[in-house]
Amino acid sequence: MEEPILKVENLEVGVKKDTGFMNIVNNISFFLKKGETLGIVGESGCGKSMTSLSIMDLTPASVSLKSGKILLKDKDLTAMRKNERRKVRGKEIAMIFQEPMTSLNPVYTIGYQIVEMIRNHQNMTKKQAYQHALNMLQLVGIPRADEILHEYPHQLSGGMRQRVMIAMVLSCSPEILIADEPTTALDVTIQAQILELMKSLQEEMNMSIILITHDLGVVAEMCDRVVVMYAGEIVEESEVHELFENPKHPYTKGLLESLPDVDEDREYLSSIKGTVPSPSEMPEGCRFAPRCAFASEKCQEDPPVFRVNQKSSCKCWLFEDSTAE
Amino acid sequence: MEKNVLLEVNHLKKYFPIKGGIFGKKTIQHVKAVDDISFQVFEGETLGIVGESGCGKSTTGRAILRLIEPTSGDVFFEGRNILEMNKRQMRALRKDMQIVFQDPFASLNPRMKVKEIIEEPLINFKMHDSAARKKRVAELLEQVGLAPSHVDRYPHEFSGGQRQRIGIARALATNPKLIIADEPVSGLDVSIQSQVLNLLKDLQKELGLTYIFISHDLSVVKHFCDRIGVMYLGKMVEMGSKHELYNRPLHPYARALLSAIPRPNPKLKKERIILKGDVPSPSNPPDGCSFHPRCEECMSICKEKTPDLEEKEPGRYVACHLYDQEDQEKII
Repeated sequence: MEEPILKVENLEVGVKKDTGFMNIVNNISFFLKKGETLGIVGESGCGKSMTSLSIMDLTPASVSLKSGKILLKDKDLTAMRKNERRKVRGKEIAMIFQEPMTSLNPVYTIGYQIVEMIRNHQNMTKKQAYQHALNMLQLVGIPRADEILHEYPHQLSGGMRQRVMIAMVLSCSPEILIADEPTTALDVTIQAQILELMKSLQEEMNMSIILITHDLGVVAEMCDRVVVMYAGEIVEESEVHELFENPKHPYTKGLLESLPDVDEDREYLSSIKGTVPSPSEMPEGCRFAPRCAFASEKCQEDPPVFRVNQKSSCKCWLFEDSTAE
Repeated sequence: MEKNVLLEVNHLKKYFPIKGGIFGKKTIQHVKAVDDISFQVFEGETLGIVGESGCGKSTTGRAILRLIEPTSGDVFFEGRNILEMNKRQMRALRKDMQIVFQDPFASLNPRMKVKEIIEEPLINFKMHDSAARKKRVAELLEQVGLAPSHVDRYPHEFSGGQRQRIGIARALATNPKLIIADEPVSGLDVSIQSQVLNLLKDLQKELGLTYIFISHDLSVVKHFCDRIGVMYLGKMVEMGSKHELYNRPLHPYARALLSAIPRPNPKLKKERIILKGDVPSPSNPPDGCSFHPRCEECMSICKEKTPDLEEKEPGRYVACHLYDQEDQEKII
């Protein structure tokens, strides 16, 4: 098998409180291969964004990494100093965010911001950098790119801003792109444009993408492999076809069944009873057990990750017969 | 079976003025948020209104309730024109028409307890005495799936889904006939979203409610509504029963919109119509059909003449020149 480009091992992220350390992300491991798109799905508060922010070292000050390794090829990012980490960020791993308005600086022109990024990471003169920025804007399909270069973020629509963000992060040709809900704030027709763009650019530049989203429709369209998170843990990891055809974990099943489907008519949607527990009141053992229809006494104990078949693994006692990883 | 029309909207318009000039008092332009739309809502049905942001779907909902005063047009509720009513008559009628908002965090007063929030409309309309009101509040809480012990809590103690349930309970308090639900599940996670949708459906069966369901989420609308209207730039471009609309959309915009829905099925490789460009600004919409700059089937007539929403097939309304042909033949 091809050596993964990014590996996250036993990552634990949390907040320090008076009462002790409160885990937000609890002991998760996954990997990303060259050229693939990995989806991370889960509902709000499941820790998917914190995972990606930890990879970028952009976590808020109150949140800290407790243990675990983040390996980019064979370099351990967690062992790096701040300024080394800074060179990786943007150059090798880049990230786009949900709300393109808040991630662009309103008082600088688009051109200034892209050039700043390019000159930080690459040895280019101002003129070359401007030319490169112009090329990038054209690459992401912005009309009148030479004029847009001198405009401010507020003069653009949401879809255009997201294109500018993509142009900016790709200007240093990163190997890994982390996209945190890149289309959530956009309308469906614009979402279709942006997803199409990301796909074609991925092929062109042979990037790996980590796509973080709560929209399973987007996952089905974009991803090769999917990681499902619930309450700070990875409950299932699976190839995309396997996930939708044959979901393993009761949570994944519940999530898929509660989606309204355009092709199907149902009087009622099935739903998962209850709500996601808050990080301060995590249940003992399996964290999904209180909402799970299949819960048994065994679930008092925290299940390990079982490898169900070649395509998927699952953190649930139902798959005890399979081998533990 | 003859269906009763509960609500009829005729040529509803809402223009917001853009102020300009030296003193900022002159009106220099108008944003045509809702531009001449007409439709009917039958008793007991759910009408969905879909469209992208800025297409005027929320303004439509609010203009019907006169939460925003419409610029012109007529709204008939049970045969009475509510735009001609005075304040007192309108207030009395509000008992029958309620609204549930998108953001349950913003629509509940943080300084009121749940029981006060739900009781407030009952007090406003002087319904029941104090003891009966208390009973009614408990009954409503049970109806929306909250525990009676929740009455003394404040909104911040609840999760998003529970808050939306409180909003629904408040809307139900006065026994309305029509509920306008403006993006009621957009802020919620999928597993919670399905809980709230099921609740709304249960309540409709139980109480015989009529809904106008405003949403940008096409799969939710398809699941929840009986008939659906698609809006683009302040105009209704297509309207029909959900099956006909989703199986065979007629308007090019509706076609593109429906093809853009991300489907949770990786096997499905479908042909997607990717629209060029963005939605134009509603203050300065293109001449003729407002969709023509992005339309793949744009003809010369589209640039000049605005198409009207016409019934092309029974129960099927489309505003597009593509379907004019029969008429043209008649003219020839």
